[in-house]
Amino acid sequence: MSTDTPPVKDDKPRRLEQSNPDYDPNIVVEAQNLTKVYRDFWGRQKVRALKALDLEIRKGEVFGLLGPNGSGKSTTIKLLLGLLFPTSGRALVFGKDASEVSKNEKIGYLPEESYLYKFLTAEETLDFYGRLFDMPANVRKERVNTLIEKVGLTWAKRRQLKEYSKGMTRRIGLAQALINDPDLILLDEPTSGLDPLGTREMKDMILELREQGKTVVMCSHLLADVQDVCDRIAILYQGELKELGRVESLLKVTDETQVLAKGLTPEAYDDIRAAITKHGGEVLGIDNPKTTLEDLFLDIVRESQERPGHRTSGANTPSG
Amino acid sequence: MVVEQFPNFLEWIGPGLLLLCAIALSGAVLGIFLGYVVASFKHGPFEAFYVIAKVVAEAIPDFFGTSPRRIMAIAQLSIKEAVRRRVILVTFGIFAGALLFGGWFMNAGSDNPDQIYVNFVLWGTQLLILLMGMLISAFSLPEDIKNKTIYTIVTKPVRATEIVIGRIVGFGILTTSLLALMALISFAFVWRGLSHDHRIVDSQSVSSFYDIDPETRLSNRGKRVSSNAIKASETTFDSGHRHRIEIIEDIRRPEDKQPEDTSNIVSQTTMPDGRIAYQRVIVVPTAGHTHRATISGEGAEATIDLGPATGYFRARVPVYSEGIQFYNRQGAPNNRGIDVGKEWGYRGYVDGGSREAPNSLAKADFLFENFDSRLLGDDSILPLEMSLGVFRTYKGDIEKRVIGSIQFESVPENSSSENRFQSDTIVFETNEFQVQTLPISRKQPGRLIAPDGSTLEIGEFDLFDDYARNKKLNLVLRCEDYNQYIGVARADVYFRATDDLYWANFFKGYLGIWCQMIIVIAMGVSFSTFLSAPITMLATIVTMIVGFFTPFIRTMTEEDVAGGGPIESLFRIVTQKNMEVTLETGIGTTLMEQSDKLLVGGLSTLTYLAPNFAQMNFADFLTYGYSIDSQRLLVAFAITMAFCIGLSILGYFCLKTREIAK
Repeated sequence: MSTDTPPVKDDKPRRLEQSNPDYDPNIVVEAQNLTKVYRDFWGRQKVRALKALDLEIRKGEVFGLLGPNGSGKSTTIKLLLGLLFPTSGRALVFGKDASEVSKNEKIGYLPEESYLYKFLTAEETLDFYGRLFDMPANVRKERVNTLIEKVGLTWAKRRQLKEYSKGMTRRIGLAQALINDPDLILLDEPTSGLDPLGTREMKDMILELREQGKTVVMCSHLLADVQDVCDRIAILYQGELKELGRVESLLKVTDETQVLAKGLTPEAYDDIRAAITKHGGEVLGIDNPKTTLEDLFLDIVRESQERPGHRTSGANTPSG
Repeated sequence: MVVEQFPNFLEWIGPGLLLLCAIALSGAVLGIFLGYVVASFKHGPFEAFYVIAKVVAEAIPDFFGTSPRRIMAIAQLSIKEAVRRRVILVTFGIFAGALLFGGWFMNAGSDNPDQIYVNFVLWGTQLLILLMGMLISAFSLPEDIKNKTIYTIVTKPVRATEIVIGRIVGFGILTTSLLALMALISFAFVWRGLSHDHRIVDSQSVSSFYDIDPETRLSNRGKRVSSNAIKASETTFDSGHRHRIEIIEDIRRPEDKQPEDTSNIVSQTTMPDGRIAYQRVIVVPTAGHTHRATISGEGAEATIDLGPATGYFRARVPVYSEGIQFYNRQGAPNNRGIDVGKEWGYRGYVDGGSREAPNSLAKADFLFENFDSRLLGDDSILPLEMSLGVFRTYKGDIEKRVIGSIQFESVPENSSSENRFQSDTIVFETNEFQVQTLPISRKQPGRLIAPDGSTLEIGEFDLFDDYARNKKLNLVLRCEDYNQYIGVARADVYFRATDDLYWANFFKGYLGIWCQMIIVIAMGVSFSTFLSAPITMLATIVTMIVGFFTPFIRTMTEEDVAGGGPIESLFRIVTQKNMEVTLETGIGTTLMEQSDKLLVGGLSTLTYLAPNFAQMNFADFLTYGYSIDSQRLLVAFAITMAFCIGLSILGYFCLKTREIAK
């Protein structure tokens, strides 16, 4: 099945099986007619959080779940992790039912807030999660040190998490998600609470994971972040899948053309306008491109780190 | 204290396992049924079948895939959580404060200060440790779910079994350490609180003792002294009490056994008739203890040193008879003795006869089937302890106690062909409802009787070698006062073997608290898998209360109670009918009786689901100085393990089938 092709809905009733006999190792996550209805104590329907979601996430891609608050993104992630049980349909991860514990061997999960034990230090936290994967002590120790260094918390590894800032907590949260060197990483709002520098680092890390052949599923409502890192996205609204496809195809404006050039004079602008008119096109605007605020901020920070005490000016920053 | 008859572990484990299997089977059937009903609402009746089958099928690999490393990881996390949240510190602070200030109110001069001290530390420790165990176990998992920290656990390859068992193990290790520390401190507190020294007032010298007037036999404080006391003095007032010290004259014939302990002999003179007169110093017991007196020097120049308190820390080992058999006035066997009305519950009563029929044959026979010197020690004196009840039909002389007697008999295998020994009667005054000790000499005067009833020999015979040659001995108890009754149960009369080590017994008592604590923790963790923290606490408290009152509830539900069950009782109250009035037969009465049966049956079943904490409560053993036998401990451990396993399974299924996220 093409990744751009809308999924075919299968309305046939399915039995809840422990594993999928038709498991395709290239499909890491599969949602089939996945529906979740929240009910109150008396069983009355409160809200239909997810409506018959059909989805396939392939090995090695970065997949983004987009949508406004209450659209069903987190519910989908929780259903995939087995934190919630589907009302109907089923969620398969590595071909196994989402409620199966064994699937978690190859999964890393970073929750929306880093729900970690505040009374533990960073080292203890990672060691604890390592033990949950039955890792031997020597492997665990090495992995803990590597990850703490990777997320840049070596200086604070013996401090209890209650003393950590939100950004530091997100970093250690990511480290715990990677403790088992997972094949599938589920990130719920990975950049929430991070400063631009932290956001950039997080995005770089996601891209690095993709380079390593890992599959990443992230949900976010920070569209720029999703656009930067995701290969494919699904847009949910009120529990329904509204759009699914590759980012570049979805964002491509097919009836407009963009030309990027460098070192043109004002006279050349007139020539270009004339050429466009000659070919029957309409000039919508010719202007200097603007860098993003994120790039500007990161350049300033970088320059400040290189030349401490020197005041930087955004006007001097080369455009990206 | 009444030490109830207790089966040994091997006798207990068979029916115990059967009961456990019955409960487990009923629990499984009920659980599957309830699970199916709930799943039917969610998925429909057909799909529900697969849901239940899936849960049951997944349970097997989950149980076998349970990893000790993950259990220990979660256990360690639980320990760190409780320690870093200072739960331990607060509990220990309260305990230390209670001991610090509690010591001010302890009266070491009361009648039984050891009982007060031991009771105080035991109940204090039990209350604190159970409360702490309940709080940490009830709040831990719900807090994890509320703070969503559990998301990062259940998304790892962690099984519900590991979460439940890990927490039980973690809190168990933590509270065990705290309990061990509390036990050590409590032991030191009791020891320190009761340890004291006295000096003799005026002077340590014997010359400072005043003479006793043989006419009045009164001390200088107006108290009656021992019948053979010749001089007396008293100790200084320490720890809320003082002792009277007497010099007694102990005259013995040369062929008699001479005193083994010579350290308290002031003087020894041979009388003209050859007898030896020993003047010995004794410290009269007060507040449940005495002190050892040691003499240095001789005669009037002798000085007396008093040693530390002795008699407090006892761990008596009772050797009970195998059974008790009552006989009525006519000598006919009777299972429960004489019915004396409401008093006739635990004890059976032995009739003392009457003036009109003075030759009462009423008695109670205690058959000791393993009466062996290896069990009881090879001393020349065997302590026989009794705590007898008395039922008086007339007041008589209020100062005079009811008289009883005992007699020993051999139990020949074949009474028609073998001779038998019968001792002389030993008469004693009953110390009503209190433990009294009769020192029984191994050499008992008596006679050897032929099968035809004729006396073959009269003399002194050995209890072990003659009376109980076949390791069987019959002890006969009679009431010697007309129209009075002596009440006795099997456990009321026993020989006292060599005492156990007190400190070992003290810590055995804490093992009972440990068992209760582990069950409370298991309940807290298990209930918190499906209940919120406050409701978990409430459920645990209710189960604990049922557990502590299990014997009472069972008595109420399993024995016939006048006035019927709850509905019938309410009906009687409303209609002002007393308990003895027979209700009119009819549909209403039948309905009421059947409803009561159902209710009482339910209540009775509940007592088998709740842990019988009374079975693990060894406080009375320590308080009253009895050794806690290993059979009781084994049973307590077995019950604890059974509850831990059962509650872990319950916790597993509840956690497995609940949605962690909301």
